Amino acid sequence: MSSAKAGILAVALGAAATAAFAAVPFPPPPVASYQISCRLDPEKKTVEGTEVLTWKNTTSRPASTLRFHLYLNAFRNSLSTFYREARGESRDGKLPTHSWGSIEILRMTGSDGEDLLASLKYIAPDDGNANDRTVAEVIPGRPIAPGETISIAMDFVSRLPRVAVRTGYKGDFFFVVQWFPKIGVLQEKGWNCHQFHASSEFFSDFGNYDVSIDVPSRFRGRVGATGRRVEERETSGGRILYRFQQAGVHDFAWTADPAYLVLEDAYREAGLGDVRLLLFLQPEHAAQADRHFRAAKAALSGYGRVLGEYPYATLTIVDPPWGARGAGGMEYPTLITAGTSWSAPKSVHRPEGVTVHETGHQFFYGLLASNEFEEAWLDEGFNTYMTDRVMKSVFGPNHVELNVFGLHFPLGIEIHYPLDVNRRYFEVADWDVLASESWKFRERKSYGAHVYSKTALTMATLERLLGTPAMDRALRLYADRERFLHPTTRDFIAAVNDSTGQNWSWFFDRTFFSSGIVDYAVADAESVPARPPRGLFEKDGRLTEGPPPPLAKVKGWDSRVTVVRAGDVAMPVEILLRFEGGRQYHAHWDGEARWKRFRVQSGPRLLEAVVDPEEKILLDVDRTNNGRRTQDDPRAATRWTVRAVFWVQNMIDFMTVVW
Amino acid sequence: MRRRGPRALACFLRGLRLSLSKPYLAVALWLIQLLLSATLILPISNTLHALLDRSPAADKMVANPDYGWWETVRRVHPDLLGNFPEIATGLLSVEGIRWSELPGMRGVGATAFSLALLATVLHAFGLGGMLGVLREPSSSLVTFGREGMRRMPAFLLFTFAAFGAAFAAYQWIYVGSGEALATRVKELHTEQVALAVTGLRLLALALAFAAIKLLADAVRTVWVARPDLPPVSRIVFGVAGAIGRPLRLLGVLGLYSVVTAALYLLWLVLDPSAGGEARFALAPLILAQQVFVFVRLLIKVGYYAGISEALTRLPEPEYSYVAGDAATPRTPAGGAAGAGGSAPAADEVPLDGA
Repeated sequence: MSSAKAGILAVALGAAATAAFAAVPFPPPPVASYQISCRLDPEKKTVEGTEVLTWKNTTSRPASTLRFHLYLNAFRNSLSTFYREARGESRDGKLPTHSWGSIEILRMTGSDGEDLLASLKYIAPDDGNANDRTVAEVIPGRPIAPGETISIAMDFVSRLPRVAVRTGYKGDFFFVVQWFPKIGVLQEKGWNCHQFHASSEFFSDFGNYDVSIDVPSRFRGRVGATGRRVEERETSGGRILYRFQQAGVHDFAWTADPAYLVLEDAYREAGLGDVRLLLFLQPEHAAQADRHFRAAKAALSGYGRVLGEYPYATLTIVDPPWGARGAGGMEYPTLITAGTSWSAPKSVHRPEGVTVHETGHQFFYGLLASNEFEEAWLDEGFNTYMTDRVMKSVFGPNHVELNVFGLHFPLGIEIHYPLDVNRRYFEVADWDVLASESWKFRERKSYGAHVYSKTALTMATLERLLGTPAMDRALRLYADRERFLHPTTRDFIAAVNDSTGQNWSWFFDRTFFSSGIVDYAVADAESVPARPPRGLFEKDGRLTEGPPPPLAKVKGWDSRVTVVRAGDVAMPVEILLRFEGGRQYHAHWDGEARWKRFRVQSGPRLLEAVVDPEEKILLDVDRTNNGRRTQDDPRAATRWTVRAVFWVQNMIDFMTVVW
Repeated sequence: MRRRGPRALACFLRGLRLSLSKPYLAVALWLIQLLLSATLILPISNTLHALLDRSPAADKMVANPDYGWWETVRRVHPDLLGNFPEIATGLLSVEGIRWSELPGMRGVGATAFSLALLATVLHAFGLGGMLGVLREPSSSLVTFGREGMRRMPAFLLFTFAAFGAAFAAYQWIYVGSGEALATRVKELHTEQVALAVTGLRLLALALAFAAIKLLADAVRTVWVARPDLPPVSRIVFGVAGAIGRPLRLLGVLGLYSVVTAALYLLWLVLDPSAGGEARFALAPLILAQQVFVFVRLLIKVGYYAGISEALTRLPEPEYSYVAGDAATPRTPAGGAAGAGGSAPAADEVPLDGA
């Protein structure tokens, strides 16, 4: 089949695939909706609440049990699965051992008024830890029929921990997330309701949220939350009530801090909707407000143009205070937390990177609500890939940052997106298969390196193999098909295959579903003056020594290059041979064999050979072996040696400066 | 009425003048440091040439560091740099580094640690030579070597004592306070206050380091200046000298620190290492670097000469009448103890009140 025909077929298949589904409208049909009234006690660090859950069984089977997440019980004591897995480490240093959190359900009644609390029992579906109380199961009075909608009323009290991992308090700062009894996701194969793990996030159904938050009046105007604020009124006892509503989301987070500096901006772009941006900023970061707004707008634009518009009216950015950075860098529907420091240099894009990334989660997680427990790469990894694209196009190269006793300084060393910012993958490249459940990675650093960085590099590699327009079409098809649904990796692969009209499963088998590493290298490259052949040759019917004249007049150089596949994963690669006089030779190799040799007889002198010269295969763990010259050029090594001498001379002096 | 000795600035300036008058001292120290650095440089240089000479990546490495290349080399050749970068960044961290991290050193990090011990020994030798030469009116590099070897046993003792005290101060003052305050610092209202706390910890450490250094330098100075006294007395006089003239000595140390910091600042601003071939070719780069090191060592020698001045120079007598020539100070080293360790000259007093 000619390439033109294949292209037409691919476009046709893509168009057919695009037309074969009906996009879910906004807001999506609710599955789990919550009406919550809660009251913050800042002194006791508790939130008391009343919740009415309206839940629909969307499966084809009756539900004889109901499962709930009680996430805050992860902080109940050191026997919880979270504490065991965290091994004393939090998102911001050591896990505190002086402040604990919990959630207790005080009342639970079903649609028919039956008491469900009596049947409540704690289960541990992931690890069988009898001391873990992050998942509870109750038995309704009767099985919930397919398509049936029920209401469950609950009273609960949440005790907030000192902020270490996402949620909690620090002084008068409150970041209240994973704070209410939340139903799991019922699928055809049963309940998908995992325990709270050290290395995983969340998964839940879409619904409509209507939440009233009652706080002391010193928090006036300093309460931010998921969705739109629809009411503000005084209540008794010097308190104030804020009511927030949001349809078509799958979680609800809120924050309160009297110290917040509340700023507002707007994002407007033709075809991508208007979004009201609210920034709850710490006063000591006031000078960084524009950096957050600019980053949020860049993300809404960059992601929106590829994945479709952000459908909500608001986006709230929360800046946690000093000492509560464990709450930073997180995403919740229409609310994100930033990550910055007082001395954040302008040429180091950490604040921008965090805000872009978390805003990006409004798409990968918010709209494409994949299972963060089981397939975390679908949100974290895909989002990292898109973050890198936005950062590269809007902010340019990043710079290495030097932390000197808590003050941050930029070094003049550039870090490029996406390769340099994801290098942590290379350190643990063969530790795990990327497609693993979040809590089943060998170490937490392997979880981060694979889920975020390997995925981002894999996606960037795919983009370079497909071409950016084709990649964008694949992403758009995936986003359109799966918006307001729970997509899986198979859905994404199907979108790639459908949009390109080609089967790319081999690529994902070797990346997502493999722990193998990619490493191509130029093992040798040499170029020697061509020499006439020697020995006995036929001349006038007789054997005489020395070649006949045509063979004796050999000119040019004989060159030989050997490219090897040092890694165990094969990828198609380009090979570039650069010759004297500016001539170049490009070759394509499927990369399957262990090595491939290139010979050029009597040609121009070979200067260098490079495998993957355009850096398409970003998963290559060692790019220092990707090229080889035929002649030595000691300039760089000499210059670095000279620098090293100077540094060591100074270092020796510093070593003895005190004594 | 109490007689006032020379001011810190005067001591430091005299020290610098003395250093400039005996440049071979800085040359000797420069040679020692250059040779020491060679032990670390050779393996690095050979590896760099092996990795870069035939690599197309070398082009972009000539002028500026390539983050990706260095990250890969560090990962693929872990024994080259070892955990030296982690230890270096740990030293600059709020928490600091702990002894327990040292056994994990490999590669350059491990060699650097051994080098630090060797440098300490040579430092003791260099100080003995330097202080001996500073007290001789006519001296040479030969004097430096002879005096260095002569003082070495005692100076090694002082140097390692100061070395141990500095490590103890680091662990107890900086690392210890960091551990003790870690939880409280997180409860502070703002990051700026937390930074101020770190600043106070650093200030306390700097003061401890300054005290250790000045005590050690005072003992060494007196050790050379008063060979007529028994060893224990020289140590006591040295300690008493440091305690008796804290501001003057701190002033000299402060001036030394400020001038050295200014030199580094100048280096950073000019930044001849960056910009590649366009700004500095290899030979001018080497020249600039070594001139910098040499100037820094001249200042260092000047500091030790200044400390010697501050501790042993006769204060100007205060007369109730015009004294004529009697008030004119003599040259700093003039009439100093001879090579054989004879009695101090007339213009020296060992210590105020000692």
